[in-house]
Amino acid sequence: MRQHLIELVLFSTYAELRAERARSYLGLIWWVLEPAMQMGAYWLVFGVILKTGGPDYLPMLLIGLTVWQWMKSCVTHGGYAIWTNLPLIRQVHLPPLVFPLVQMLADSIKFFYIFVLLLIILWCFGYPPNMAYFALPLVFAAAFLAAAGAGFVVAAIVPMLPDLRFVIEQVLTVVMFLSGVVFSLKAVPSPLREVMELNPIAVLMEATRGILMRGEWPNWVGLTKVSAISIAACLIGITVVTRLAPRYPKLAT
Amino acid sequence: MNDVLIELENVGIAFDAQRRVGGNRFWALEDVSVSLRRGERLGVIGRNGAGKSTLLRVIAGILAPDRGRVRRAPVSCQLLSLALGFTPHLSGRDNAILSGLMLGLRRSDIVARLPAIREFCELGDFFEQPIAAYSSGMVMRLAFSVAIQVEPDVLLIDEVLAVGDAEFQEKSGMALRERMGEGHTVVLVSHDEQQIAAHCDRLLWIEHGKSVLEGGRDEVFEAYHRQLHLSGAHA
Repeated sequence: MRQHLIELVLFSTYAELRAERARSYLGLIWWVLEPAMQMGAYWLVFGVILKTGGPDYLPMLLIGLTVWQWMKSCVTHGGYAIWTNLPLIRQVHLPPLVFPLVQMLADSIKFFYIFVLLLIILWCFGYPPNMAYFALPLVFAAAFLAAAGAGFVVAAIVPMLPDLRFVIEQVLTVVMFLSGVVFSLKAVPSPLREVMELNPIAVLMEATRGILMRGEWPNWVGLTKVSAISIAACLIGITVVTRLAPRYPKLAT
Repeated sequence: MNDVLIELENVGIAFDAQRRVGGNRFWALEDVSVSLRRGERLGVIGRNGAGKSTLLRVIAGILAPDRGRVRRAPVSCQLLSLALGFTPHLSGRDNAILSGLMLGLRRSDIVARLPAIREFCELGDFFEQPIAAYSSGMVMRLAFSVAIQVEPDVLLIDEVLAVGDAEFQEKSGMALRERMGEGHTVVLVSHDEQQIAAHCDRLLWIEHGKSVLEGGRDEVFEAYHRQLHLSGAHA
């Protein structure tokens, strides 16, 4: 049973990526073009017009947006997955966790490719590989668990309350600005800055930038706290989905 | 012979009529009791809205009862679902694998059955093409060819008895009749009384979500028709 579910999740992930590639004209190129266009927009506003970016703004922005896009995709794509698959859930007995998980894995594979590209760009900018890279898997594991936890909670509730979709995008935009994705938290004045630095996503952003740009090992105490929060978020998400599972086959899309 | 696979005891299923706080609930099934033994072919009859399809979904394990009890032996139970999980931009082959996985097959099983699926659907080279390029009849051919490969312990059929054009209807109908005749345990929901009469040994008659009568085919049919005539005379 368990092995069967693993096979189902893996093949569905492959199918999802493959279908996504086939759906658009430029296919895979969009994986890079879409974030590149977004980076261009922020660079224009903060780097060129407002000039609040500071030194190293472009690499900082690149790293922030790449990691944030991945986390955000996990929350939104994963978050809508049960809702969009309700017609399927009405016909076949499958654990509903399968659907968000497939979306999150597909987004993670996309992230992997984009991240490799990001590394190459950073090397060209003069930020060479360093020993601290070994900490990246840990930082990304914490980021994935946090995003997955949020995504599972959203996935659990959206089928009951589809109106939530209209709120999610806005909430995520606010979270992005509060997490220092498009600007450095160092630019924020003092008492407020310490508060904002409590945000786990901000910790992950800073850790990733420290590793890639300055070869710094992450703040282990901070990372441990964030990991604990991430694991808790993930467990809560899984519990909520499992609890609500019997209700999904009765819902209409 | 007393090998009960699934037993429903006073089962009720409630749906929310509207998506809003304090909306009404309605009971699609109110009080249904039935037991299914190994090798039995049970037909479910009743008018539109009697709860036949909901009952099948309870037996399949998709819906959990809101009241009453369901007891089941550790058996696989699958609704014959066509085109489950089909994705337009994937090839016929990939869709066959995806659909098979969703229907509970292991990947190695499906891969081993791909030649049979390909042969049965008669799509030729289209099998490797995205199904977005298929006509709806071709999609149904592929869908049926995959679905018929699944061999659950208990096969549940909701009206799907044959699909496609005249030629494929003959072929798919035959494959399904063969499947039902192989001593499998089957639950069949259909409005086609001839089909029910041809395939089922026992019948369950439900009305307004309640089981009215369960028993031998002829006995239940007779009572059912008597009732239909009576209500017809009243109207």
